[in-house]
This record gives sequence, C-alpha cells and structure tokens, in this order.
Amino acid sequence: MSLTKGGSTSKCGDGCRPAPFNGSPKNRRRALLLVAAVPLLFAVSAMLGPSGVGLPDTASVSGRAILDLRLGRFFMGMLVGAALSTSGTVFQAILRNPLAEPYVLGVSGGAGLGAALSILVGGAFIGAIGLPLTAFAFALLTLLVVYAIANQGGVPSVYSLILSGVIVSAICSSVIMFLVSTADIEGMHTVVWWMLGNLQPASWAEQFVSLAFILAAIVGLWLFAPALNVLTLGREMAHYQGLDAGFVTISSLLLSTLLAATAVSMGGMIGFVGLIVPHVMRSIFGPDHRWLIPASAIGGGAFLVLCDALARTLMAPVEIPVGVVTALAGGPFFLIVLRKKMKYAWID
Amino acid sequence: MPGSTDRLKPALAFRGVTAGYKGRTVLREVDFEIAEGEFVSLIGPNGSGKSTMLKTATGLVKPLEGRVELFGREVSSLKPRERASLIGVVPQKLESPMAFTVAEIVMIGRSVRGRWGGPDAADHDSAERAMIYTNVLDLKDRLFNQLSAGEQQRTALAMALAQEPRIIMLDESIAHLDINHSQEVLRILMNINREEKITVLLVSHDLNLAAQIADRLMLIDKGRLVRNGSPGEVMEEELLRRVYDCDLRVRRDPFSGNPVVSGVLDAALRRPPVRKRLHVISGGGSGIELFRRLLIEGFDLSAGVLNRLDSDSEAARALDIPAVLEQPFSPVGGEALSQARRMVEAADGVVAGLVPFGPGNLVNLDLAELALKAGKPVWLAAGIASRDYTPGKAAAAKARELCDGGAVEWSNIHELMAQVEQTWPQPKTQQ
Repeated sequence: MSLTKGGSTSKCGDGCRPAPFNGSPKNRRRALLLVAAVPLLFAVSAMLGPSGVGLPDTASVSGRAILDLRLGRFFMGMLVGAALSTSGTVFQAILRNPLAEPYVLGVSGGAGLGAALSILVGGAFIGAIGLPLTAFAFALLTLLVVYAIANQGGVPSVYSLILSGVIVSAICSSVIMFLVSTADIEGMHTVVWWMLGNLQPASWAEQFVSLAFILAAIVGLWLFAPALNVLTLGREMAHYQGLDAGFVTISSLLLSTLLAATAVSMGGMIGFVGLIVPHVMRSIFGPDHRWLIPASAIGGGAFLVLCDALARTLMAPVEIPVGVVTALAGGPFFLIVLRKKMKYAWID
Repeated sequence: MPGSTDRLKPALAFRGVTAGYKGRTVLREVDFEIAEGEFVSLIGPNGSGKSTMLKTATGLVKPLEGRVELFGREVSSLKPRERASLIGVVPQKLESPMAFTVAEIVMIGRSVRGRWGGPDAADHDSAERAMIYTNVLDLKDRLFNQLSAGEQQRTALAMALAQEPRIIMLDESIAHLDINHSQEVLRILMNINREEKITVLLVSHDLNLAAQIADRLMLIDKGRLVRNGSPGEVMEEELLRRVYDCDLRVRRDPFSGNPVVSGVLDAALRRPPVRKRLHVISGGGSGIELFRRLLIEGFDLSAGVLNRLDSDSEAARALDIPAVLEQPFSPVGGEALSQARRMVEAADGVVAGLVPFGPGNLVNLDLAELALKAGKPVWLAAGIASRDYTPGKAAAAKARELCDGGAVEWSNIHELMAQVEQTWPQPKTQQ
C-alpha cells in the first residue's frame, strides 16, 4: 500500500467514498426547504400588519402604502437577520467559542454608540451612507480597542478577547445611556425606540447601501468558508494546514464587523439572532461553512421576518419591538431544536 | 514538488537560529540538519524550547537570527500552501469544537490544495489512503469529538498525512496516550518513515520512547542544542542528570539493548531507616522485587554472590546496593565467597529469594548458614526443592538443615515483610 503515489489501493470501490463535509444530498434537501420558506414568508409578511390580516387593498392609496410598508419590513428583516446571523456564525468560528457573537465582542455596542451619536448629533447631513458607515467606524474602533486590551503580547486568547469585549460593550452602553439621558425628548425617543430594535424601513437609499454592504460581506465570507472550516481547528493548526491564518482572521473579522454594524444601524439592537440562529443552522446543516454561511444568512433573515410579522400583529394596533419577540418567541423554539440536536451544533 | 536537486538538501536545517517571543528569547544559536528519510526525536525538559523549535521550523515563529530551511528553501520565503505540502504537523491534541466527522477532519488536510468546491477524486483517494494507513477508515463517519484520545490522535495523523507532506512533525502527540495507543501511533510512524520515506521529527519528553524509536536524538536544554547523536550518545547519565536536574539512571534494556532512563524516586518513597542491614541471596531476577521492597522498608542491603550481567546484579548496581560479583556463568569462587562472608558478618540477617540453585551458586546457602550460626535471622523462600538443580538435591537438603537450625520460610513477599517486621518492628513515625 502506498501513501503518496496514486493507484487503486483503496479497500472500497467507488460506491463508498468517505463522505466529506456531511451528507450533501441531505443538506441539499434541507437547503431547498429553507429557500422555499422565503417566498412563503414574503407572502405572510405582505398579509400581516397592525392594520389587519390579509392583503391590503391595492386599489386604494392607503392600501398601496401599507403594502409598501409591509414589503419594506420584509426586506429590512431579511437583511438585518441575515447580517446578524452570518456575523454570529463567523465570530463563533473564528473565536472557536459558542458564546461569541457581535454583542459579546462589543462590536454591536460600538456600532450602537456610533449610530446613536449620528442620530442625535449628525442628524441630517450624514445621509444614506452616513449611518451605516458611522456605525461601522465605531464598531471597528471598538474591535480594535477590545483587541488592544486583550492583547498582552503575542496572540490574545479567546477568553481575554471575550472578557474585554464584555467590558467595552458595557462602557458603550453606559455612554449611550448618558447620551439618551441628556438628549431632548424627541432624540431620546428616537434612540430608545431604535435601541429596542425595530425594522421600520429606512430610506430607500439607505436600504440600498445597506443591501450592498451586507451582500458583499456575506459573499466575501462565503468565499472564506473553506478557510473558516480550517480555522475552527485553531489558528496554529490552520497555519500548519497552509492557511494564512492572520489574513483570514482579520479579513473575516472585518467583514463580520461590517455586517453587524450595518445591521445595528438599520434595525437597532436586536439580540438573539446572532447568537442562536447560527447554532440552530449548525445543528441542521453541520459545521461546514460552505453550507453554514448561506444557511445562516437565509435562516437568520427568515427568522427575523417571522418575528417581525408577529411583532406587528400580536398586539395590533400596538407594535411590540421586534427584539422582544426574537427572544420571547425564538428562545423556547430554538431550545427545543437544540436540545434534540445539540451534539451536532457544538461540542466542547 | 519533489525535485531532483532538493533531494540532496536536508529536509530541515536550522542554521544559527535564535528565536523567541516578544521580549523572550527561547532558542539560542541552534544548528542542526535532518536528512530526508531520517527519524529524529527532539527531547528536553519542559520549557526547554522544544515546542518553540517546532513552531520555528514551520514558520509560525520567525527566527530573530539565522535561517530555517525546508528542503533547502528558507521557510519564511515559502507560500503557506507550499510550506504545508512539505511539512505536516500533528499537534499535542487536536481540538475541534464543532461537530466535524473524522472524514471531514482528514479532508481538511486536503485544503492544502486550496479549492473552494468539493474535494475531487485525488483528494478522496489521498484522504482514504491516509485513513487506511492510520486505521481510522472505520471511524470515518463518527464525530471527531466523540472518539477516544488514541483515535483522535490517529485522525490528526491522518489529516497530516492527507497533506502528503515530506516531513511530519509531532509535538508530544503521544504523550497523553496510554501504552497501547501510543505503541499503535508509533508503529504507524515507523511505517510511514520506512515505507514512504517520510521524514519524522518527534518532539517528546519521554526519553525512553524517543530512544526506542528514533535514529537520532537531539537534546535541547534552555534553548540550546546540547547533544545531537545516536540514542547511545545522547542518553548519557551525567548529561541527562545535568539537563533534567535530577537524579536518574541510564541502563540498557535487556531485550532491545536500548538505553533506558529511570528516575530515582525510590529514595523518596523509603521509610525512615531501620538501621538494619540485610544480605540478600538471589539471582536471575529473583532479587529485584526483594531489593525494591526492602529498600522501601528502610533496610540497608547487600547482595551476592551474583554473576555479572545477571539482571539482579544490574538491579543492585542501579539501586546502589553493594554486591559481590562473580564472572558470568562461572561457579562462585573462593575470593568472591570470602567477600560475601564479610558482608554477611556485617549484616543483621539474610534473606534468600526464589533463586534456582545449581552447583555454581550452592555455596550461597553456606552464607545463610553462617548467619544462622551467628544467631542472625534467616528467611528462605519456600519450595527450594522445585528450584534445585544440584546433583543429589543438595540445596533442598541444605535448606531443610537450615530450617531445622531456625531459618524461617516465606512463600510470598507480604509474608516475608510481615516476618521481618515482627523481628524488627518499624520505628514509629513521629506524629
């Protein structure tokens, strides 16, 4: 038997290849179901709202406006959900920690601070790109600060990263609190409402810019998928496997920071999606990021759209902040899924 | 690419390498070459720089001074993928927090080839060969995390093999495996080294294992390469004592001839001295356990007459027990006997082990008689008749005579210890 030379030395024929990266046919079926859920949710989203159940009358002006609003919400939900969930997936892979998500590393906190500042101070002049860009700049700054705190010579450990992330995150939220408490009534209301998380459609220009950012970042991360698979074995192993681990780590951290920042600037502080959806998708599709990243994107989007639809209808005409629904409705559901399939999601 | 020219170049060469981490130099002026196809083991105490050397060899740690060459090319000049196709690393413990199967982990070794899409036929073949080689093919659909440590380590080895590297380095990868699994991994390593001509660098803190398997040992101490040579050259008692800063002994394994090092822990285990000297009559390995137990109980010992090269005489030497030695396979001569008599006269008692008696060593029983006559206690292992190869069963007769004269028979070591304890009660340890 020869190891380095070719030849048919294998004990088994063509029928029994080692299955690399999970039984693909199974995953394909599951992916199809997930993709099929999107138009369904689109329809559901168009029919649900505080103004009543059913398609709005498109003949009337108000009906068209309501439909517009509902479709805008669908669009926002898909984008924000996809961004948060993909970002969480990548953070978990890079930090090799099941608790990692944009919030834990302070990235969301930084983005939130940036967004709050630009809402309160910047206001009019920053325009469509301004909000996501300010959020991104602040998120990036936070990430750098977190890294600098954690870095005590050499490569910072995951634990010190998370610890300093939590600290910086807390500082960011207290600064936001301070800003809110000193703001005028109107500004305070805007920021608080935004912080609770809501998917009120932004301007089309802003949505378009966000769409571009989010799509580009998700595709970019998807391209890193095989590298992320290797990276889950640790940076050192990745190096031995011929990966430029530093480059991959930094690029994917940047891309997922961009995702988180854009999501926060669009929808505020929506929790839960970035943490739990990746775990559920991992338990369904396995840990291969070539499946996991698109699945997380679609799954996160679908989950948020569903939660938003519930948020709009449950107590109509009063709208519940979507961040409340994600945790309240999603928690128990995902708990059931994870309890059944925990061993495929994460093992430590 | 296996080129024809770089075949002549060493697989791995350190040329005056000084390396370390931020503000801490670990390796100092390290110089060595490993030829392609060699099996080399890097040994040294904890914290001596073994792992740093491995990281420097793979380019993970950049040398501050000097050059590290892989097949004649400077490591830092290699593209990551080129480097990974030359050198594979099996870590101390591969950890995959996510639920990858064995096949998936092994296939990660193929990511050296750097395609985004699914693996092709060549990847499958290579991964499969690696799994067959390491005997994990049956486990391919199992989750890596649910495997035993040995199976995980074989999977990690399979992953490194799937890279199809020309040199494999193992970072104390077998240190935490039990003997069965570590032997299995070692067997695989020897196979890939011999059959596939893959160069192996095994980092190990297990000196005996390293000496057992490697063609060459490199001993590193405080970041410096202090000895580089055959196991016999490196496993030198004085050198190892200095490097490991502890009392140890190097013997030759009677079966393989390999040098074997053992720590001298016995001293710490011993009871407070009872200030009694026992003379032990043994031979052929029957004395080893006696020596050990009696030393632990706090006795001073002497031994003999033993033949040189007898395993008891080796044990006596290792344990610093004064012993009278006779030439191998020779009957005990007058001079040795008179020496042994003097020892028995100095002793407080005599213990005879489960030694077979023949014409050559029958006189040893005279030593027991001598002690008995001097009123000293004598313990004889029971059943001498079955070990008696003297003409006319002289030893059994002598034993009966001794027992009549007051010698006590013992049938197992616990019994012996109880009898000895009865004669000389242990001094009570201070509360």
